Amino acid sequence: MSTETVESLPAEAGPIARAVADGVMPSRVWMYANYHCNIQCTYCLTESGPKVAQRALSPETMLAVAEQARELGFTDLGVTGGETFLMPHMPDTLAALSANLPVVALTNGTLFSRRLLAKVEHLAECDVALQISLDRPDADVNDEMRAPDNFRKVTQAIPDLVERGITVRIATTVESIEDNELDRLCALHRDLGVPDSEHIIRPIVRRGRADTEDLGVEAVASDLPSELTITDDGAFWGPFGPTVKDGVLDTDLLVTRTTLPLETPARALLGLLEGRPEGADSTLNIR
Amino acid sequence: MTTIARVELDQVPLLARPYFADGDPGPIVRSLAQVPELLTVALPFIGAALGPSAISFRAKEIVIVRTSALAGCRFCVQTHAVVALEAGLTSDQVAALQSCGPTDEAFPDPRERALLRWIDVVAGGGPVSDDERATVLRSWSDHEVVELTAVVGTTLMLNRYATALALPTAPEAVERLAQEGLL
Ligand code: SF4
Repeated sequence: MSTETVESLPAEAGPIARAVADGVMPSRVWMYANYHCNIQCTYCLTESGPKVAQRALSPETMLAVAEQARELGFTDLGVTGGETFLMPHMPDTLAALSANLPVVALTNGTLFSRRLLAKVEHLAECDVALQISLDRPDADVNDEMRAPDNFRKVTQAIPDLVERGITVRIATTVESIEDNELDRLCALHRDLGVPDSEHIIRPIVRRGRADTEDLGVEAVASDLPSELTITDDGAFWGPFGPTVKDGVLDTDLLVTRTTLPLETPARALLGLLEGRPEGADSTLNIR
Repeated sequence: MTTIARVELDQVPLLARPYFADGDPGPIVRSLAQVPELLTVALPFIGAALGPSAISFRAKEIVIVRTSALAGCRFCVQTHAVVALEAGLTSDQVAALQSCGPTDEAFPDPRERALLRWIDVVAGGGPVSDDERATVLRSWSDHEVVELTAVVGTTLMLNRYATALALPTAPEAVERLAQEGLL
């Protein structure tokens, strides 16, 4: 969350900038770059997989979101999917986005061939962090929820990226994890070159395929981060909003169908946030 | 029949939720809820135009049923025929409104006759003559004519919406109309 105070904002700052500065509005805008994926995890919120429709945002749309987010007073960007690096434009788009605001981009970390590594190398010079999923310290248990060979590919990609000076974060998504397993996972990520400060652990949210598979915690809007999230289908209350169940997009966390100008969904989201009772903030440590 | 998706009650978007607080709000709201930012401006307007106001409940339902009949909107005619009965219209009066034919026999009141002439002219399309305006203004004040005309226009918008999207009439409404011989 931004530490900027309302007092330090310029006089002409608009309502979104003020709401971001005083913590009413989360500072990050997310974009769902696409919905398809090269793998098919058991807990995937978006039922992503190789055969689902891309429902991609164009690079031009993503750039417009980034520019308008900066102008409105947001301070961070997030890019998620689907597997974001299935989009060939992603290395260049991330660099262009980061010229506006710092970016964190989520990836499953399985596509970093020599060729792709060469294409992302320049991200070391940009304000871009790659957040890679790694759930368990043991290949068999990790791969059970994700895909065969996932562990090997991820544990190879992380040091490859770190070596190139790219900031890597690790996200661990689990129902539960024993202390000793977590200790081994943390030792592993340190070995791979990722410090503790760049490791997050989050619960599985019972939406999308996780719901079908009877996994994870139930969460209502107030449990979930309310970061404005832009998709090809509209703007949502947070990146856990535009989930897909049985092939149908969930609309319970839809804010507006209008995505650009970004001010339209941003104002609608602000209205919802201002209308909610005090203390009704995210409670499940979901991020 | 191909019809438009209406949001399921467990999938209501955040901005639309106040309109679902008392349960299923019907197919117009459930379809419009797919575009919450449209719903949240359309419904207050529709409510102001068609809901309680300086114009009587009875007069508004005369406008809505007659306009919907002229526009050939099955959903709005059936839904509002039931409301018109609640507003005190007789079955004969509702049948006359639904028929698109003459209404003088069923509506002896001169003010209602002037209103019906005005509805037929406004909803019928085409130019509106000076004579027609003068006639309605002899029975209804300027602000009333403004509002009644806006009710015709709003109803026409909903008529085209409900007809194009093939919105279904509630089974209870169909049942009531069958009992009254109004189907
Ligand atoms: S959770 Fe991520 S990596 Fe797994 S299927 Fe979904 S989008 Fe792909």
